[in-house]
Amino acid sequence: MDPECSRLLPALCAVLVDPRQPVADDTCLEKLLDWFKTVTEAGPSLLLLQENPCLVELLFRVLKAHDPRPRVLSFSLRLAGLFAAQEDCFQYLQVTPSSSVSQQGELLPMLFGESGPLGGAAWTAPTVRSGWLQGLRSLAQHPGALRFLADCGAVDTIFSLQGDSSLFVASAAGQLLVHILALAMRGPAEGHPSPQGCDWPACAQKIVCHVEDSLRSTATLQVTQALNVLTTTFGHCHSPWTQGLWVRLSPLVACLLEKDPIPASHSLVDLLLSVARSPVGSSDCGLWETLAQTLSHLSPTQAGPLALGILKLQDCPQALKTQAFGVLLQPLACVLKAAAQAPGPPGFPEGATGDSITVDTFLSSKSACVGLLCQALAHLELLQLLPQRPSPWPQAPLLRAAVAILRFCHGSAAPTSDVGGHLCAVLAGCVRVQRAALDFLGTLSQGTGSEEGLPGHTQVAPGLPQGPQLLRPGPPHPAVPRRYPWPLQELLPVLRKRLCSPCWEARDSGLEFLTQVTRHWGGQAAFRHALLASEVPELTGQLLRDPESYVRASAVTATGQLSSWGLYATPTGPEHPEVQQESLFTELLHILSTDSEGFPRRAVMHVFTQWLKDGHADVAEDLEQFVARVLQAASQDLDWEVRAQGLELALVFLEQLLGQPGSRCPYAVALPEAAPPATLAQVLQALCRVQLFEFALRALFDCDRPVAQKSCDLLLFLKAKATPCGGPQEAGASPDVVSVEAALQRWQAGEQGQPLGELEPEAVMAVLRSMDLEGLRGMLAKSSDHMEKSPQSLLQDMLATVGVLGENEADCY
Amino acid sequence: MPEIRVTPLGAGQDVGRSCILVSIGGKNVMLDCGMHMGFSDDRRFPDFSYITRNGRLTDFLDCVIISHFHLDHCGALPYFSEMVGYDGPIYMTQPTQAICPILLEDYRKIAVDKKGEANFFTSQMIKDCMKKVVAVHLHQTVQVDDELEIKAYYAGHVLGAAMFQIKVGSESVVYTGDYNMTPDRHLGAAWIDKCRPNLLITESTYATTIRDSKRCRERDFLKKVHETVERGGKVLIPVFALGRAQELCILLETFWERMDLKAPIYFSTGLTEKANHYYKLFIPWTNQKIRKTFVQRNMFEFKHIKAFDRAFADSPGPMVRSGLRGPARLGPCLQVVFATPGMLHAGQSLQIFRKWAGSERNMVIMPGYCVQGTVGHKILSGQRKLEMEGRQVLEVKMQVEYMSFSAHADAKGIMQLVGQAEPENVLLVHGEAKKMEFLKQKIEQEFRVSCYMPANGETVTLSTSPSIPVGISLGLLKREMAQGLLPDAKKPRLLHGTLIMKDSNFRLVSSEQALKELGLAEHQLRFTCRVHLHDTRKEQETALRVYSHLKSVLKDHCVQHLPDGSVTVESILIQAAAHSEDPSTKVLLVSWTYQDEELGSYLTSLLKKGLPQAS
Repeated sequence: MDPECSRLLPALCAVLVDPRQPVADDTCLEKLLDWFKTVTEAGPSLLLLQENPCLVELLFRVLKAHDPRPRVLSFSLRLAGLFAAQEDCFQYLQVTPSSSVSQQGELLPMLFGESGPLGGAAWTAPTVRSGWLQGLRSLAQHPGALRFLADCGAVDTIFSLQGDSSLFVASAAGQLLVHILALAMRGPAEGHPSPQGCDWPACAQKIVCHVEDSLRSTATLQVTQALNVLTTTFGHCHSPWTQGLWVRLSPLVACLLEKDPIPASHSLVDLLLSVARSPVGSSDCGLWETLAQTLSHLSPTQAGPLALGILKLQDCPQALKTQAFGVLLQPLACVLKAAAQAPGPPGFPEGATGDSITVDTFLSSKSACVGLLCQALAHLELLQLLPQRPSPWPQAPLLRAAVAILRFCHGSAAPTSDVGGHLCAVLAGCVRVQRAALDFLGTLSQGTGSEEGLPGHTQVAPGLPQGPQLLRPGPPHPAVPRRYPWPLQELLPVLRKRLCSPCWEARDSGLEFLTQVTRHWGGQAAFRHALLASEVPELTGQLLRDPESYVRASAVTATGQLSSWGLYATPTGPEHPEVQQESLFTELLHILSTDSEGFPRRAVMHVFTQWLKDGHADVAEDLEQFVARVLQAASQDLDWEVRAQGLELALVFLEQLLGQPGSRCPYAVALPEAAPPATLAQVLQALCRVQLFEFALRALFDCDRPVAQKSCDLLLFLKAKATPCGGPQEAGASPDVVSVEAALQRWQAGEQGQPLGELEPEAVMAVLRSMDLEGLRGMLAKSSDHMEKSPQSLLQDMLATVGVLGENEADCY
Repeated sequence: MPEIRVTPLGAGQDVGRSCILVSIGGKNVMLDCGMHMGFSDDRRFPDFSYITRNGRLTDFLDCVIISHFHLDHCGALPYFSEMVGYDGPIYMTQPTQAICPILLEDYRKIAVDKKGEANFFTSQMIKDCMKKVVAVHLHQTVQVDDELEIKAYYAGHVLGAAMFQIKVGSESVVYTGDYNMTPDRHLGAAWIDKCRPNLLITESTYATTIRDSKRCRERDFLKKVHETVERGGKVLIPVFALGRAQELCILLETFWERMDLKAPIYFSTGLTEKANHYYKLFIPWTNQKIRKTFVQRNMFEFKHIKAFDRAFADSPGPMVRSGLRGPARLGPCLQVVFATPGMLHAGQSLQIFRKWAGSERNMVIMPGYCVQGTVGHKILSGQRKLEMEGRQVLEVKMQVEYMSFSAHADAKGIMQLVGQAEPENVLLVHGEAKKMEFLKQKIEQEFRVSCYMPANGETVTLSTSPSIPVGISLGLLKREMAQGLLPDAKKPRLLHGTLIMKDSNFRLVSSEQALKELGLAEHQLRFTCRVHLHDTRKEQETALRVYSHLKSVLKDHCVQHLPDGSVTVESILIQAAAHSEDPSTKVLLVSWTYQDEELGSYLTSLLKKGLPQAS
């Protein structure tokens, strides 16, 4: 431990046990424990306790306090657990003489035994119960701890805490049981113990018997607790003993399936899947039968997650997979059946014919129907993306089903059956189902299935993006397929309508959609023709002046993308005569220099960087002029992300002049690591002309760390490229570095306003060589508040708040 | 028995990050989704694993409601919707919807700036999250689905802050979020109608405090700023972009105007424009005074407060050269600066603080709470030597002042709100355990209702007795009206009819209508009883004696002697017959309908006692 921390610790411990001193901040004790955890993990805890007797003193005094504060008590329990994780320290705390004569005794039993907080008034506070469990969790690392747990009767308390009123405590109790079970089975018991458990350690035997009792219980809560413990066990422990455990418990689990209704079905599904994923699964044939049985016993809604889980399993009998897939398809089969004009099979594999149980669920209530459909669609969507999805994949009927659902939602279905009529009534205008169906349709369109079903898809497509309720956040809806071109003559009017929408969300999503579509199809003649004939590019240009900054930013990105494909013409509308003759570059530069919001300015920088990478016509016209103007605007920006992006652009420019950093591709033509001197001199001149040096050097001392970091990287790259070849200074000239160094010092002191003026490349390179950029990079890699976050700072803060807390404590945002 | 369950994942006995789960009428609602600014790891967000274990999040949760834009109430929202995967609706008021992304963006930038955190939500995520938001108007009932409805009430606290009523059928819960019962410089007081919810979930930040007048605090603040400016010092006020900053701006603007001060006030990072734009846009959410006067002069159009340029921080005195933005120009001297972030933990405010900390003439005023691990926290706790990077020590000589502008209801205000809403139960959140304990007792004593204060993770379960709404047929109502009894909301009364339960609907109709609707035939049910009387006279005479007897006893009832010799009392029919085996005994056959069951039983018992002897 740091000597300064060691020095502060006694005072802090004194504050913690003083009931008159409020504990500073509710995060302080947590952070203190974080620190003790790193300290105890890094070295011997015993030494730590011996060198800092105040810690043991603290534990004693908290125990002896009449009315201990729950938070401090909880902290002490957790702290003691951290120390006792090491066996020698555990022994030490078992019989610890305190430095104070009046305080002696067995510290750990006093903390965790029945004479401790367990029986006191403080136990009513959940934080104390939680601290007790977490303390034991840390402590239970060695055989000595097991004996201790048995002696102090802790396991029985943990059993009772499984049903605690606090979710956090109950969950921690369950996890602690798993941890103790695993610890008990470690060592001598490891191997293949008999399922009967006669050779199991007493502690493990006790826990397993408790789980058995709980599984037999008629109370669902207890069954749930037992199932959760087992799920965690099979999820985390993969030793051979878990096989014995499953052999012993599987009959009890199977018994649950015979009850009606099946208790704790959700937890049961979790357990069965956890076992199936563990090594136990591959060796137990009975498990597949149990899974099949469970699938058929559960209601359609409950069976869905199990079916998906089964289909995700790597090794699983084909028959079970078919059954599981059938379960997932049932709801869609029902929909197809209900939507069918003429009777006939829905076209799904056998087993998915729209059974009566699913129909009953559909008919039972609106929420059940909506819930089941959304779940089925979400599960199938997930499944479609997996490599182990069933084959053949019923692409066509799935497409038909998704379209049928959308028709029901849209109100355009003409059902002939009762179920169809019911679905019509329930799904009409249901946004949730519409969204789920759209998501599913999007995923289906990305699939590798056959192209059949395309007609249905395109028929429904024009109707999709109209209502504002169908707005999808983020990128354009994946229902826009890459493989199936949309009917453009129908799509573009819809897009146009959305770009004119009064909702910013609609305009923004429309622009994001346009960007995405252009990225994919910008080179296709049909698309280019249709787009240029539409008003969409012009509207996009107008949205550069949208009142909403999100929209302006998306418009910048969209025009940038359009322009890259030669699809953007500057707006010539009569209402904006002033920008008639301007190029898009000028317009975007204007946004970069004047927009009051960060989003559009950042978007402009992204577009410019991309243009530079792609060699956009506006850039290629006068590269230096382009870079100079952009860097000048970026360097003055108040938003650090714009400045950082400016450095990104500068780096691209450098790379283009000097070659990629660290390109070591073995198949590439061997390029010189550093640029040849003649080229370098020209490059440096160019960098001076675009004022890249001033920008980068100023950024090196930027108050926003990412900017400084980026600048450091850039200058290091430049230094690496320039140094091996010697440099211009070796030609004999001795550069004047004084003015550069003076400016750097001013910037370092935070005086950003002073300009540097004309720069000599040689002087800059000389300064760069003399600077410890690696050291600076190391410093910047630390968080900007690492000093404030240090343990020393934490201790100082906690001590400093003593006495001054009263006036500020109640305040908050 | 139906029940309401409440589980705080945050704000249970703490003032960290608000996140409360409510289950009501089978619906699950999340109230607020806040972030704890004191942590920089996963602990800053509520532990959502307790919800995700219930299967797909969007299936489990019906909606999320955000009470206001402070990060401890909305900061985890993009994480929850874009990273954890909630895809359902999010409700908040319009000002909250507008301001929330600005604050989230501000915080994201600080988090990334400070620590280079990669595992934090991005700008795109904030935008995508905001697209899932449904804006609600005050007092507008929003139907989340067929059964769940929500309604917003004005909460004061900050612009757009709202309390929400969540209602499923006849059960309801009100969640206050943070609120303020006293109007301040730009906002009005919280208000709710007498909605008598089953449960009121209220914040309790100042559970034990009766707060002094805000005016005094404001006077102090202005005095300190003025004195510093007068002696040529500089004043730094670290704030978050929105909220308190605007309140302080109004305060200083008015004071500057009144005192005719010339020193300009600057606001860093250019956020003022957008912030003030929103404050202008949402004038209806401000207090009456601002609403009344905004036509002549909008309070948020500041004359003295200007956008801040980075170069200004260097200015040693008035009129210096500033090299930023376009051609070189003369820049004014900086004297009063609002800079973000509010806890002096990074960026602009920290940079200015470092420059100005060395002079006794300068002053920093912290108008809000600072978490541990920030420079703001250090200087507030009195530390004057701050260790900086590279073993440098920054000596803080400038004056450090703390000024609480936190706008929460105090103990009196909380009691007032409970009195207004008249809830059946109260649940306290967003406060410290000890203080809550005190308020809990006070509420229980004064209002005679149960009060709960669960810790995070603890579930409070309340049984509710549901009242089931029943529709009454027009016919039945008309019949009641015909009896001259006009309906009166204050005087509930009994109404008889037939209850029809069909398609989860309940209707009370007249029995005739019920028969007609259900296509049922009417059957009369009569009770019969035989009473043996010792009477040697003829049957007709016995009947006559019975008639006379009943006529004398039942004076209020209509007793008739029919020509066929039988006697009727209302629907009760009595016939006398001879005993087949004993001629001295007569048998009285008594029958009555179920409507006259009481009278029938009484008559039988009366007859069983025998007839009075003829005089």
